Amino acid sequence: MDLQLALIFLQQGIASGLVSGSVYALLALAIVIIFKTSDVPNFAQGEVFMAAGYVALYLFVFQQMPIWVVLPATLLAAFLAMALFRRVVLDQVAKSAKDLVYLVIATLGLSYVLKGLVRRTGFGDTPRSFPALVPTDSVMIGQASVTLLDLAIFGTAVAVMAAFFWMFNYTKTGRAMRAVGMNPKAAQLVGVDLRRCHMLIWGLSGVISAIAALLISPKILMTADMGSIVMLAFAAAIVGGFSSLPGAVVGGFIIGIVENMVGLFISSRAIVLAPFLAILIVLVLRPQGLFGGKLTIKKV
Amino acid sequence: MADLLEIDAVCASYGRIQALSEVSLKVPQGAIVALLGSNGAGKSTTLNTVSRLVPVTAGQIRFAGEAIQSWPSHKVVSAGILQVPEGREVFRDMSVRENLDMGAYRRNDAAGIRRDLERVFEYFPKLQERLQQKAGTLSGGEQQMLLIGRALMAGPRLLLLDEPSLGLSPLLVQQIFAIIERLNREGLTILLVEQNAAIALGCSSYAYILENGEVALEGPSEHLRRDDSVRRTYLGG
Repeated sequence: MDLQLALIFLQQGIASGLVSGSVYALLALAIVIIFKTSDVPNFAQGEVFMAAGYVALYLFVFQQMPIWVVLPATLLAAFLAMALFRRVVLDQVAKSAKDLVYLVIATLGLSYVLKGLVRRTGFGDTPRSFPALVPTDSVMIGQASVTLLDLAIFGTAVAVMAAFFWMFNYTKTGRAMRAVGMNPKAAQLVGVDLRRCHMLIWGLSGVISAIAALLISPKILMTADMGSIVMLAFAAAIVGGFSSLPGAVVGGFIIGIVENMVGLFISSRAIVLAPFLAILIVLVLRPQGLFGGKLTIKKV
Repeated sequence: MADLLEIDAVCASYGRIQALSEVSLKVPQGAIVALLGSNGAGKSTTLNTVSRLVPVTAGQIRFAGEAIQSWPSHKVVSAGILQVPEGREVFRDMSVRENLDMGAYRRNDAAGIRRDLERVFEYFPKLQERLQQKAGTLSGGEQQMLLIGRALMAGPRLLLLDEPSLGLSPLLVQQIFAIIERLNREGLTILLVEQNAAIALGCSSYAYILENGEVALEGPSEHLRRDDSVRRTYLGG
């Protein structure tokens, strides 16, 4: 491969990587905000993403609703589903079992329920695409070719993430959420309503997943199994340290770029290995993840 | 004087282990009442039943005449009962300023919050110097000051202090207790849990001694200080 081509590949890999990476970053963010406050890896995050995509598809394509109704309705549905799951199912499980493992299993249960529901409706039988709301004309950035849709995906994802960072750092509610993540007992002692706070976090995590679904579903074929993309989001979260929000975002972009680079420079059949390779390298060099802070050893 | 807090035959348990059995105590408005006892006697549990972190299985807790034993914890905070927990329960990765802001979480009166922040700085000038520092990097004494400051930011009517002397040098203990007595002089009612019986009996007007989750002894602090059995067990001779 000559240098000229390698340079083009490099630019294309970064551009495409930032686009798919922004979806991984959003999902990783959704996973990490829950993990930080509930200590539970939500294994249903991918299915929430998938189900939100189908809600939007159903409302927009089958019910012919206007898009300004479809978007908020989808986000609201994702918020309510996750908040209610936290309140009704997880609070109940937590009451009867002290061990966190039961909560994790409950999230696995949710993932099967959502997948089963979508399968039952039959919409998932034929792969479909959500109609693109932004034209898919190509533009050149440097020597990389991207579509206007790609730019819209990246821009929206960055804006959404910036909004959440703002919320966590500068609003009273966001600060309370961080407080719950750091020290739930102290948070209760200053008057934070833990139950409400958890519902809100799970709901927002659902909203972030739904945004990710709305962004990417015009670019992929939707099936009931599209939630498996969440593996890449978990990879992104692990690369970033699993408890750091900036880490999740950077991890998402890294996974996206590595994936595209591997596809361009090595082989498209090696793409599936790319995220695991990234995890391996990061964990060997920095076991706590890129943004994981100091390595601590827990005594048991 | 009227009782601000009344704990009336309260029982609490962790699973099958009975932690409190029929504990009764009263904290009159404007007083410092001490709750003494050895490790595991149920002192912190008593505070946590009032803060509504530990469920009450029987009995009643009244605050300013209202039964609060079935309230959620955030409602208790809104009513003005603030616990200063034992140990270093600060928000470690937040700045000192953010920790103090969290103290005012349930308030919306900006002017009152600003006034209380000034008051906290007056009591603890050290905190003002370290406003942007992460709470987890403060020394033990400074963290204790921050915990008290955080509780004051809520505009409390009753302070539940859990072992404020724990792990502090004698000099710091003196400083902290000087502040506690000053807060009390300025009108704050305080329920004080301590293992250091000498200092607790010195600043309180009335004291209860817990043993195995029951009130073993109670009386005016001055009497308890002269009581032979109390001297032997808690004051070291």
